[in-house]
Amino acid sequence: MTGADIRLSDEQVDLVHRLQQGKFGDVNFNEYEVFRSGFPLCWCWNRHRSDSNRICHLNICSLDIRNTVGNIPMEWYKDYPHIGYDLEGKKIFKPIRNKDELDEFLDKMENPDYWRTVQDKMTGADIRLSDEQVDLVHRLQQGKFGDVNFNEYEPAIDFFSNEVMIHPVTNRPQDKRSFIPSLIEKEKVGKLVHAIKMGWIKPRRPKETTPQYYDLWAKEDPNSILGRHKMHVPAPKMKLPGHEESYNPPPEYLLSEEERLAWEQQDPEYRKLSFLPQKFACLRAVPAYSRFIHERFERCLDLYLCPRQRKMRVNVNPEDLIPKLPKPKDLQPFPTTQSLVYRGHSSLVRSISVSPSGQWLVSGSDDCTVRFWEVSTARCLKTVEVGGAVKGVAWNPNPSICLVAVSYDDTVVLLNPGLGDRLVCTATDQLISSYEEPEEVMDQSVQWAVAEGEGHEQGHRLILKHPKTVRQVTWHGKGDYLACVMPDNGSSLQVVIHQVSKRRTQNPFRKNKGLVQCVSFHPIRPYFFVATQRYVRVYNLIKQELTKKLMANCKWISSMAIHPGGDNVICGSYDCRLAWFDLDLSTKPYKVLRHHKKALRSVAYHRHYPLFASGSDDGSVIVCHGMVYNDLLQNPLIVPVKVLKGHTITHDLGVLDVTFHPTQPWVFSSGADGTVRLFT
Amino acid sequence: MSQVQARFFTENKKYLIDDVPFSIPAASEVADLSGVINKLLEAKNGQDLQDFLKVIFQKLCGIYYLETWDKTEVVEIEYVEKFTAPQPEECIMHDDWISSVEADSEWILTGSYDKTARIWSMEGKAVMTVAGHTDVVKDVAWVKRSFSHSLLLTASLDQTIMLWEWNSERNKVEARHCCRGHAGSVDTVAVDPTRTKFCSGSWDKMLKIWSAVPTVEEDEIEEPNRPRKKQKTEQMGLTRTPLMTFSGHNEAVSSVLWMDAEELCSASWDHTIRLWDAETGEQKSTLTGSKVFNSISYSPLCRRLASGSTDRHVRLWDPRSKDGSLVLLSLTSHNGWVTAVRWSPSHEHQLVSGSLDNVVKLWDTRSCKAPLYDLAAHEDKILCVDWTENGLILSGGADNKLYTYRYSTCVSDAGA
Repeated sequence: MTGADIRLSDEQVDLVHRLQQGKFGDVNFNEYEVFRSGFPLCWCWNRHRSDSNRICHLNICSLDIRNTVGNIPMEWYKDYPHIGYDLEGKKIFKPIRNKDELDEFLDKMENPDYWRTVQDKMTGADIRLSDEQVDLVHRLQQGKFGDVNFNEYEPAIDFFSNEVMIHPVTNRPQDKRSFIPSLIEKEKVGKLVHAIKMGWIKPRRPKETTPQYYDLWAKEDPNSILGRHKMHVPAPKMKLPGHEESYNPPPEYLLSEEERLAWEQQDPEYRKLSFLPQKFACLRAVPAYSRFIHERFERCLDLYLCPRQRKMRVNVNPEDLIPKLPKPKDLQPFPTTQSLVYRGHSSLVRSISVSPSGQWLVSGSDDCTVRFWEVSTARCLKTVEVGGAVKGVAWNPNPSICLVAVSYDDTVVLLNPGLGDRLVCTATDQLISSYEEPEEVMDQSVQWAVAEGEGHEQGHRLILKHPKTVRQVTWHGKGDYLACVMPDNGSSLQVVIHQVSKRRTQNPFRKNKGLVQCVSFHPIRPYFFVATQRYVRVYNLIKQELTKKLMANCKWISSMAIHPGGDNVICGSYDCRLAWFDLDLSTKPYKVLRHHKKALRSVAYHRHYPLFASGSDDGSVIVCHGMVYNDLLQNPLIVPVKVLKGHTITHDLGVLDVTFHPTQPWVFSSGADGTVRLFT
Repeated sequence: MSQVQARFFTENKKYLIDDVPFSIPAASEVADLSGVINKLLEAKNGQDLQDFLKVIFQKLCGIYYLETWDKTEVVEIEYVEKFTAPQPEECIMHDDWISSVEADSEWILTGSYDKTARIWSMEGKAVMTVAGHTDVVKDVAWVKRSFSHSLLLTASLDQTIMLWEWNSERNKVEARHCCRGHAGSVDTVAVDPTRTKFCSGSWDKMLKIWSAVPTVEEDEIEEPNRPRKKQKTEQMGLTRTPLMTFSGHNEAVSSVLWMDAEELCSASWDHTIRLWDAETGEQKSTLTGSKVFNSISYSPLCRRLASGSTDRHVRLWDPRSKDGSLVLLSLTSHNGWVTAVRWSPSHEHQLVSGSLDNVVKLWDTRSCKAPLYDLAAHEDKILCVDWTENGLILSGGADNKLYTYRYSTCVSDAGA
């Protein structure tokens, strides 16, 4: 139409394809409806007649060879040389097409009409669309009607209007039923009439215009106790009139002139009295009360505006909140009073230990001495000087060996105090002197040496030189093994175990986690307890493995004691706590006691009595009843029974060590004031 | 001021007054009551008596509770003759703590922590030092006293007991026997009434009976292979072995005594007092206390045992009661452990006790709330007390001093 080359858009190409396939250009077009009317054929004919001169390669003959196969999928003829049959029943042969992609491309490049060339699927011929056809495609694409002359906006003629015409729309004669009365209607009316007669249908009641009320409390039982009766809050009482309200008040209630002026100048809210007391000669002279209405109004305001709330007070007897514990009186015996003071040390006494028989007490002090005391009289029987401030002393628990381990600086000395049975003392000396050097000398981290000369006379028997400062010494229950603690963070050599009979030293741990505070042997089984700052680790010495790790829930453990039964452990810590662990129960503390005001320094169990004690920097020893039952279902009973005071606090240090007498319910405590005290 | 009705009575016929109730002020002190009694006696006898009434005993409880007494009842008040207070006599200085003391009418024997025993005259003159033990002397006892030759015993921490013969004329002491057998410190010895045997109690829980008769032959040593010990015994007298050993105590034996020639009594740290048949070694009965016993004493006059234990009380026991632990009376006034008790040898109601609170107290069992006298001379712990037949009270302790007090008991009252 314009002569210019138009590049076909995708929609246009699609349309061309649709037309080639014999389908309709409009996608939404219902082809079956169109076919019924036969309209396209006519239209086709019209097209050909009107634009016959424009059709070049669609000659009249090609019109004749229209395919008669009908509306079938044309791929059925895919393998045949023909594509259908014409009107005479002759085969319509497919045009010879040997165009490959290259030919197609060349055709596309060279043929100016390529864009308007479509293939007729029915005949297989290429058809060049005429301008009208292209125009038609454009029109259909725009949603317009295909016929150019079709007026879609023709005026509508209203056939079925409200005007009654003289001529009916249809000429059908009326039915008979339109002349005779309806039986169904009659039946319906009869039913209604019957219902009215029977009174089932009543005439509509006139609407009431007056408002409706009901008695809210009509159903209420006047005798029942209701919530608002229970919750009755009585109205606040009015103040009773006093003398100042009297018509003839005593003269002291009458205001003087200055007072009256002051009253008048005062803000009404701050007035003590809301009125001026007045004096009348007689009751007859009293005028009407001018503030009556005002006062009643205020009273009403008081009654309904005053916030009233019932405060539910929980009545709990404070005694019920206290856990039921037996009285300390019923838990006797336990130490109650200070009986003896062992005086002699000139500096703080760091460590004490009682002989297994309970006759002797050994104490080690910062004045570089170890003293041996007679328990019953507080007599110092022996003083042994060592080369440094004594950090720990421990009496061998085996009654057939008389040895005391003393640690100072980097040395542990085994002393024979020569107290108790002479036979035992000599046997101990023989035991030590009978040692024979093994043939192969092992390289040990600890140097063993036999004391000689003056030291031997004082009682020194064996001297163990450690690489570091030894803080604690503790014996195994059999009395052959001795564990020493050398706290040093990050070092692998913090705990060593010595075997006295073989003079052998072993380092049980390849590495230590954290700073070791104290160690202890299990009283019965081959377990070894190591307390670091926050945890207590329990090792099985036979299997050489970690059995348990107890979480102490405190900042820094200071001391530890094992129950003689072996299933309970107490830990004292520098943050004033004492934690009781039940090893069968959990790795967390069974109970935490916070009775001390300051850091705990030492804890101890009694060997026979259900007692344990803790000593603290606040100068007190707290004795608790700690009953452990054989019944596994019953938890230990822990009752604090006594606070023992006696030590004076020196340099912010109070009690440094506590230990129990092996047979009596007595507790010893050593303090920074240089004394050891016995409480019984 | 409230008044109470009181009736006074006494067992002493000499000082009887009429048995009528008197009305006395409730706030009366001992001196007021003494004044009343004295006035009554004066009026009755017509003679001026001295103020002889020191303490008036009420029948059940001490005079100090008079104010709380029921006003309608008649209080029965017993009064006794007033004793003069013990008069301090001597203060004998030692070199070390005094662990034990035993005196007779002439000589005082003390054991000390300086490993010696000493003999003193009554005037406090050092007569003899008995040295030989290698450790602290824990107990001493006279076995036999005669004009010139005396026998004495010392028990020591070195597990031996030594029998010494003391010639007072030549003032020479000789170790006759060294009694070996205990495996712990020997804390107590007691000589039987016949003076032929003695019993020792030790920390090794044993009681052993030994012969107290010196012989010239050495006893057979149980273990012959002890050459080193033998050398020692040659120096320190012949070795003696026990005649009998009583075992039964579970803890150390702290005190032992003879009730009579056949009966032994021992007190121990295992909270029991046990009575033994000295002939057969059979345990006859057990008295169970609640505390460790430090010391016991028996009075043949009132047939009671007094015990001092590791608490504040002096307890009186009836050893004949079969039902075990019956404490007849507790005497409470001390503030520390009672380390020593001793009955008066001549008075059935009086005893003396020493304690760690540095005070010796003289008790009358009829007044259990308060002692008759406090003898507060010591400056340190008291470890031993004794009371002689001739009215001398002795006490020694950790202040290295031995105090003696003259105390004249009323002999006429003792026999009643």
